[in-house]
Amino acid sequence: MTGVVVIGAGLSGLAAACALAKRGVPVRLVAEGLGGMALSQGTVDLWGHDPAPVARPLERIAAAPQGHPYRAIGAHNVRSGVELLLDLLGEGFLEGDIETNTLLPTALGALRPTALYPPSMAAGAPSDGARWALVGFDRVRDFYPRLAAGNLNRTQLPGGGFVHASAHMLDLPDHPLLGGADASAMTVARVFDQPGYAQMVARAIAPLVKGHDAVGLPAVLGATGRDAWATLTRELGKPVFEVSLPPPSLPGHRLGQALTSRARELGVRVALGARVTRFTAEAGRVIAVHAAAAGAPRPYRADEFVYCPGGFESGALTMDSRHGIVERLFGLPLTGLAPVDELITADYGARQKVFEVGVRVDDEMRPVDPAGEPVYANLRVAGSLLGGAIRWAEKSGEGLALGSAWAAVEAIGRSAA
Amino acid sequence: MSAASLQAGHALARASLDACVKCNICETQCPVMAVQPNFAGPKFVGPQAERFRQGESVDRTLDYCSSCGSCTLACPQGVKVAELNSQARAVMKAGHMPLRDRLISQTVLMGKVMSPIAPLANGALRVKALRVLIEAFFGVARDAPMPVAAGGSFERWFARRAKRRGGSPPPDADRSRLGPDERPDKPRDGCDAGEVGAAGEADCIGRLTPNARSRGKIVFFHGCAGNYFEVETSKRAVEVLEHLGYEVLVPRQGCCGLARQSNGIFDGATKNVLELCAALRSAGADLPIVSASGSCTGMLKHEAHEIMGVDTPELADVSARVKDVMEFLADLDAAGELPHKFQPIEATVPYHAPCQLKSQGMGLPALDVLALIPGLKVVESGRACCGIAGTYGLKKEKRAIAQAVGAPLFEMFRETGGDLGICDTETCRWQLRQGSGMRVEHPIFLVHQALGLGDA
Repeated sequence: MTGVVVIGAGLSGLAAACALAKRGVPVRLVAEGLGGMALSQGTVDLWGHDPAPVARPLERIAAAPQGHPYRAIGAHNVRSGVELLLDLLGEGFLEGDIETNTLLPTALGALRPTALYPPSMAAGAPSDGARWALVGFDRVRDFYPRLAAGNLNRTQLPGGGFVHASAHMLDLPDHPLLGGADASAMTVARVFDQPGYAQMVARAIAPLVKGHDAVGLPAVLGATGRDAWATLTRELGKPVFEVSLPPPSLPGHRLGQALTSRARELGVRVALGARVTRFTAEAGRVIAVHAAAAGAPRPYRADEFVYCPGGFESGALTMDSRHGIVERLFGLPLTGLAPVDELITADYGARQKVFEVGVRVDDEMRPVDPAGEPVYANLRVAGSLLGGAIRWAEKSGEGLALGSAWAAVEAIGRSAA
Repeated sequence: MSAASLQAGHALARASLDACVKCNICETQCPVMAVQPNFAGPKFVGPQAERFRQGESVDRTLDYCSSCGSCTLACPQGVKVAELNSQARAVMKAGHMPLRDRLISQTVLMGKVMSPIAPLANGALRVKALRVLIEAFFGVARDAPMPVAAGGSFERWFARRAKRRGGSPPPDADRSRLGPDERPDKPRDGCDAGEVGAAGEADCIGRLTPNARSRGKIVFFHGCAGNYFEVETSKRAVEVLEHLGYEVLVPRQGCCGLARQSNGIFDGATKNVLELCAALRSAGADLPIVSASGSCTGMLKHEAHEIMGVDTPELADVSARVKDVMEFLADLDAAGELPHKFQPIEATVPYHAPCQLKSQGMGLPALDVLALIPGLKVVESGRACCGIAGTYGLKKEKRAIAQAVGAPLFEMFRETGGDLGICDTETCRWQLRQGSGMRVEHPIFLVHQALGLGDA
């Protein structure tokens, strides 16, 4: 076989590409830019809100209603997709239990259910009466411990009871790489990677956190590894946890970088800066996609195509000035379309059905038309383009991405056999 | 600097501005920001500041940007971050361009001056006292890597070789104008076409295949560095192309203007690139153009249009025809037209894909081609930039940044082992040679060796 072309470098694209490469399939990954993992929490959310908190995500997935993308994907593929990710990342990158959700604090002090998380977040699982010290850093935007502590303290835990969080601020010790004011989370994280810096911070924090059971810090403890987190935990002699921040989110960035390196090691050939602008098809099969490149467009031919372009956020789905919604590359049939005043309501907090618009697939992950027939025999879709779910409201983004990527890879394996 | 030349490319890049959602992904990839916290970063000085710009930028940390293009490459929304930055810097420097920046962007001049007196010139640039003086007077960092002039230019080698083969020496090397009887058809030294086996494949080292030139004509774009400094790269690229059966044409050609462009000297660079387009087109319409100068190819394919807004049909024609030599070979292979007749090379070699090659949106074709060589293990660096970014790392005030950017890459090269590393562009090789202490060559060296055309 001439191989598979994967379009998109987010979680689903990288997972599909790595899985194929592991099976010895030649894979080319073509993408406009990096995927959105640096915008994510760095956790693996399978199903968190329904809208009430979900305790056992795989059971909920197995009972997904008609029209929900999990219905086509199936719980077994979600399980395998998550196992794939754990295998790709290696021992100790993520922990948690895929059967049972864990609540973790957000930067606003809400409690968010997720299945897997980096070890540096584990100690943020709340328990009744736990005394937490939340420490913000003067130069780090987007983490305000008083706000977070206030919200946490008035949130009743599912089993009853409350955590007791106190708020503290620390002026970070100076470092030449810290620069002037207004350092980004990324800049601060790189400083935490410098030898000796985490020890300096630990010494400065120690007096603030006496008498507390655990210490919550903004997720800036290192750009790549988790040495800084381990050092702080050791030096403070008590559990330390990171709280994810708005972009650039370091836990999400670390996950994205690790997966990208893994793809490279596995021999996935990546072309970035290559926005796919058109395709050619023949007799119900996609023959090639054509990507913009400097000079002239480049064709990418393959036996199979896995399309992982994201949804509205990346521009894969667009709404024009007359409220027409289209999938921009293949013009795939969309599910969930309705008059615009049904899709978008003025009530900000209400469910905005526009975000359920997307592509419907069969259990081979092939986009289907309204009659349920596959549009192209060798085109499969994974990730956020799938319609029928509001990923951030449900907290299901990574589960959908990994499950659909795995299902697509399995289907490719079956069709090649 | 005319206002028109500063505006031309701007509308194009500015049109991508509103796609910026300030996700900060560019800032996670910026190699300069990682080592120099005073740089406000690509998002800030690029799309964010651009919204407030009318003419000159209010934020002067813009000058820290090395124009490596990692931001544009990473952007999931297609914002031309690096292009906006390059344009804004040209506006900022207009009217008071440092003499140093004018000088170091004169690549042809450097080659012409240094080549005839290569041992002297190379030796002089190794004299520390002289380099200290150059740094004091011109601001070229005393420890920055300097090109090493080859004794003879590629042009001379090519012309002499053609003459030796029995054709009339092509001063303009435009052999397409020669009549059929005048064309050089004698194979390379030591190879007699009569010895070629009936199997139709080359079986003697250095021999032309019996189907020599059966693939038709191809134009070789050598670039300034490929003519005066990295001459071996150009020679080997030509030998590989000829071995595959192409008739290589080398029209007399000048500079692409890249170094001027990256220093914000858009008028001069535009003149250069248009003259180059005319020269390359003079060799024949519709012929493929191939180059082993990855960054100069990028100038033709991308920067001249996207940064400087050059919008002539001649540039459009050349930019669609020109290919990097590894891209050309990878495309041949994808089309099933590259014979897999490679001798094994038992080695593990670190490879760094230069920023300017990555910016071309074609992936990493060197990896595709080198994967065909049995026994060869190529380890990609995965690093954004070596630090030099054209002429950036030559500048006194930028040298420390360039070295800090390159340090992890130098280490990766040394750790991967062996004595040879590979990289597609010239200034990056100079930086990597100096930083890693290793021999660093163009990937075509390995292809050349694996084809039995000589040692790498």
